[in-house]
Amino acid sequence: MKRLCTRVWLAAFGASALTGAASAANAPKTPVDFSHQIVPILREHCGECHTGDKKKGSLSMNTRADLLKGGESGAVLEPGKSAKSKFIEVLITKDDDAKMPPKGPRLSREKVELLRAWIDGGAQWDDGFAFKKPAYEPPLKPRRPELPRVVRGRTNAVDRILDAHLARTKVKTPVAIGDGEFARRVHLDIIGLLPEPAALEKFLTDKSKDKRATLVRELLDRNVDYAEHWLSFWNDLLRNDYAGTGYVDGGRKQITKWLYASLVANEPFDRFVRDLIAPNADSEGFSRGIKWRGSASAGQAVEVQFAQAVGQTFLGINLKCASCHDSFIDRWKLDEAYRLAAIISEAPLEVHRCDKPSGRIAKPGWLFPELGDVDAAQPPAERLKQLAALMTHPDNGRVPRTIVNRLWHRLMGRGIVHPVDAMQTEPWSVDLLDFLAVQLADQKFDLKKIIELICTSQAYQSRAQVVAKDTDDHGYKYAGPRAKRMTAEQFLDAVWQITGTAPAKPEAPSVRGQPDPAPKAAAAKKADVAKKTADAKKAEPAKKAEVVKKVPPVKPVPQPMVRASLMKADLLQRTLGRPNREQIVTSRPTDLSTLTALDLNNGQLLADLLARGAAKITKERGDSSDALVKWLYLQAFARAPSKNELAVATEALGSKPTEQGVQDLLWAVVMTPEFQIVR
Amino acid sequence: MVELESKAMKPIEIDPTAPDSVVRRDFLKQLSAAATAAMMSGTPQFVRAESGGKQPKATADTCILLWMGGGMAAPDTWDPKRYVPFASGIPVAKVESTFPAINTAVDNLKITAGLENIAKIMDRATLVRSHIQPDLGSILHSRHQYHWHTGYVPPQTVACPHLGAWMSRVLGPRNPVMPAFINIGQRLEGVGESEELKAFTTAGFFGGEFGPMVIPFPEDGATSVRPPKGMEPGRFDNRYALYRKLIDKNPQRDVMSDYQQESMLRSMDNAHRLLGSPAAKAFDITLESPENIRKYYPDYQPGVRFEASRDRFAGTYEAGTVGRFGLGCLLARRLVEAGARFIEVSTEYIPFFNWDTHENGHTRLVAMKQSIDAPIAQLVRDLEERGLLDRTLIIVASEFSRDMIMEGKPGSTAKDQAGFKVDTITEMKHYGQHRHFTGGASVLMFGGGLKKGFVYGATSPERPFVAVENPVSVTDIHATIFTAMGISPKTTFEIEGRPFYPTEDGLGKPVKELFSKTV
Repeated sequence: MKRLCTRVWLAAFGASALTGAASAANAPKTPVDFSHQIVPILREHCGECHTGDKKKGSLSMNTRADLLKGGESGAVLEPGKSAKSKFIEVLITKDDDAKMPPKGPRLSREKVELLRAWIDGGAQWDDGFAFKKPAYEPPLKPRRPELPRVVRGRTNAVDRILDAHLARTKVKTPVAIGDGEFARRVHLDIIGLLPEPAALEKFLTDKSKDKRATLVRELLDRNVDYAEHWLSFWNDLLRNDYAGTGYVDGGRKQITKWLYASLVANEPFDRFVRDLIAPNADSEGFSRGIKWRGSASAGQAVEVQFAQAVGQTFLGINLKCASCHDSFIDRWKLDEAYRLAAIISEAPLEVHRCDKPSGRIAKPGWLFPELGDVDAAQPPAERLKQLAALMTHPDNGRVPRTIVNRLWHRLMGRGIVHPVDAMQTEPWSVDLLDFLAVQLADQKFDLKKIIELICTSQAYQSRAQVVAKDTDDHGYKYAGPRAKRMTAEQFLDAVWQITGTAPAKPEAPSVRGQPDPAPKAAAAKKADVAKKTADAKKAEPAKKAEVVKKVPPVKPVPQPMVRASLMKADLLQRTLGRPNREQIVTSRPTDLSTLTALDLNNGQLLADLLARGAAKITKERGDSSDALVKWLYLQAFARAPSKNELAVATEALGSKPTEQGVQDLLWAVVMTPEFQIVR
Repeated sequence: MVELESKAMKPIEIDPTAPDSVVRRDFLKQLSAAATAAMMSGTPQFVRAESGGKQPKATADTCILLWMGGGMAAPDTWDPKRYVPFASGIPVAKVESTFPAINTAVDNLKITAGLENIAKIMDRATLVRSHIQPDLGSILHSRHQYHWHTGYVPPQTVACPHLGAWMSRVLGPRNPVMPAFINIGQRLEGVGESEELKAFTTAGFFGGEFGPMVIPFPEDGATSVRPPKGMEPGRFDNRYALYRKLIDKNPQRDVMSDYQQESMLRSMDNAHRLLGSPAAKAFDITLESPENIRKYYPDYQPGVRFEASRDRFAGTYEAGTVGRFGLGCLLARRLVEAGARFIEVSTEYIPFFNWDTHENGHTRLVAMKQSIDAPIAQLVRDLEERGLLDRTLIIVASEFSRDMIMEGKPGSTAKDQAGFKVDTITEMKHYGQHRHFTGGASVLMFGGGLKKGFVYGATSPERPFVAVENPVSVTDIHATIFTAMGISPKTTFEIEGRPFYPTEDGLGKPVKELFSKTV
């Protein structure tokens, strides 16, 4: 971004002399019509970067005052004096680095002359005119939307909102899916595993009306499976891993133990956030970030990393731009990013602009002072507590909106706000987003309750939208869930499940098991009596919540299978898209690349797994090809094979399956899109 | 099978006589669908080539980076200084080079002993002797390597793409069945600092499609495009046929039009096609005659594999590794012929091995030079003979240079990295370039439209050997490479709303003097 920061409007050039001459020769005779002659030029050639919320080089042309104020390198326009205005110089300069607009065609001579005439005539501006589009500014406070009436007995609140939405957008209600499809999807979404054939058959033959809701609840209650599936989501989002840059030399600290314990105990999200922001010894890895060996740019100082991480993870705000200079892409400013960073800083933190010291010391403070602010006079630990309280303040709707949007994205394949890290974007359904966010608060920040609400909706239980290449060309329109590609972990877990070849031992340094039902009462700590600050009153409700006990420890419980989320990323997991967690990652690759396909075709890791699995399966189920294929289809696809599929598969196996035959069938099955895409 | 045999699923036909640009265009057309899908998911979008919207005219179609990971000392390779032979009792500070200078095919251009084969082809080379690196605090190999491979100093807020990924993303492969970006000779598992190596051996935010195909052992090239071990070709084909039949019978065929599904099938098809294509043979170096192989690896014995673990722990690692790099160069040549776009061949970076000489530097370099001298010379000659050198840019580079006494560069506060901090050499292990030096390094280049027999820049004749004439930064070396490949250093992609360029902040300026024609 340095290029943009240092872009100067124009170095002093010979051009200005020429400009003066030309301007004098063509002095305007008739006044220029601002709205009909100037506005279209500005809109066409400057609008993309200098109107609305865009202000490259810190120059906005939204209003006359903005334009006269100029940009980073000072004034650009002097009314009455076009010859002295950089505004004109950059339009005609031959210097590629300074010219405006930087891309696209140059302005015609006529247009330049019009602009000159306009400036020379005093740069008149119509009263009240502003380029500002009705830019969307997301609300901060929570909002409780009124639920539309129930249609066709679809009472789930999500459906009430979406049915009204579909009616309004004139999109047909998506078709419902069958039980098998539902079971596979909801298993993979909630616990990351395929349904086991026996349990699946029981579910399919169950006649009770509320069996889907019951299944959702049962899956959510499988604490360990739930935790070990969602662990990957959180590891990505909190950039926690079991190996990687910084861990060896102490520049980075895992939060695995704390994270596992929190997930398995389903800690309320508000407490989860507080533990990460005002951390204990087990959770401090997140706020500490990565201390790189050697020097790092100012924008990657650990304090600034903290601001970036808090912004992205919990608020859906990208502070990466603003940690170097005022952002060009949203409203955040350098000083705001540094204020947030200064909260955690032990020493006074000097604001650096584009890696150069500015001489200003950042005053600790957070992004939405309208909810109250941290007390800059307090030591960092206390400031972090105050920040944690503000993040989980009942009037802070941004944090709940951000997390429910992430959950919706995971379960439904696309965010209500999308991309999920740009929460300043207008949601396609404000009501849905707002509703889910207040619901989270109503449910005492129990994330499982939100997952349950979504999964029990007819919306979730409807067929995935068939997406063509051009479906979103004119913007996104909700028409049902979007299919998701299995994550690396889901794919491996599923293969291990089918073949019984999971590794013997997990690599994550965490006990596997359930929360200890009787945590030592002594562990419950009394909250220290915090000093009353000016803002303390506002943050009061959150402060009270601090009294709650620590996350209960995990009591070891033997588990049937090691999960991929507990392993270090091997070549196969990386190939399948498990990211390097040096940066926060909030989405996994949606498409299977050719290189990945190549690895799946001939990679030794997968080949070995399938060979071992085939040996096992042949031994256990080798009596009948027919039964083996039926079992495999049920296990892999949660359905019976069609007659044709059965014929093809049994023919391939022959009457007496061989290990080779089984191995090749396994490969063919796990390579199908139906297996790898959760739809 | 009707669906699958439809037009979209047809193998990509290429006309071998078609100009490269046409092949590329057809391939891009077929890929454009993938790009659309990528945009939907919020992955980076191509914004523009540069302000004028034009890419420079390429002077090269293929790029080979010969990577001397660990810090190749310029005074002991391409930039000889005062040679002082080993003798007990000489002050370390007196020694500048531990190898004598030798003549080359170019008058008045000398390099150091041990590089006699390359000396003979220096009339085809462009040698930059004034390459400089920034001071990244303590001089860590992995951080400098990250910088050299991505153009960005770590840490960064987004995952930066490797040079090869840029070429893969912007240009694609020359032959559509070939992977565009192939990385040879560097293990990413089981070696020190492997996490750091992985951090830059990646397509970063471009996504896996543009990432490297990794071939740590050149002799395994064939297996990377061959059916898995123990699966004979007939069975492999039957397995694929079974897969296709199952898909054909799949009741979900009605959603096969779904883009995600279609692209998955296409990727599988592409992969299978590569595995069965004539291009796959390019990966198999054993298809060369033993005589040819011995030009790259004189001691080559068919069937005898280099075993890193054994050799490493037997203490003869460098001797053992001779040949591996050579085979990598041979593989690179075959891949160039088959239509790859970017190939990196590494001597392999392993902390404290190979070029990473913290002690015993001279002895170590005898072996390192032996491992690169014949292969690099042969690679250049082979490409020249095949008429490919003019359009293939070869770069020999390292993350920084080394010096006998100076750590970092003048004024640096970096910690001294030498294994033995002695002022006087008393043993052979004291004799060598044991400090990291960032003030002046050499980059050797061949082909790709660059000048022949040309030296650019110079280091000081007296210690410290800092670049005193025309210093060239990493950013500008990259700008030169990208420009040669027809990619403007200002090419812009947008990631998370941020403009992102192949050279840092789009500021790289190609060293125009290196090109034989005006660019």
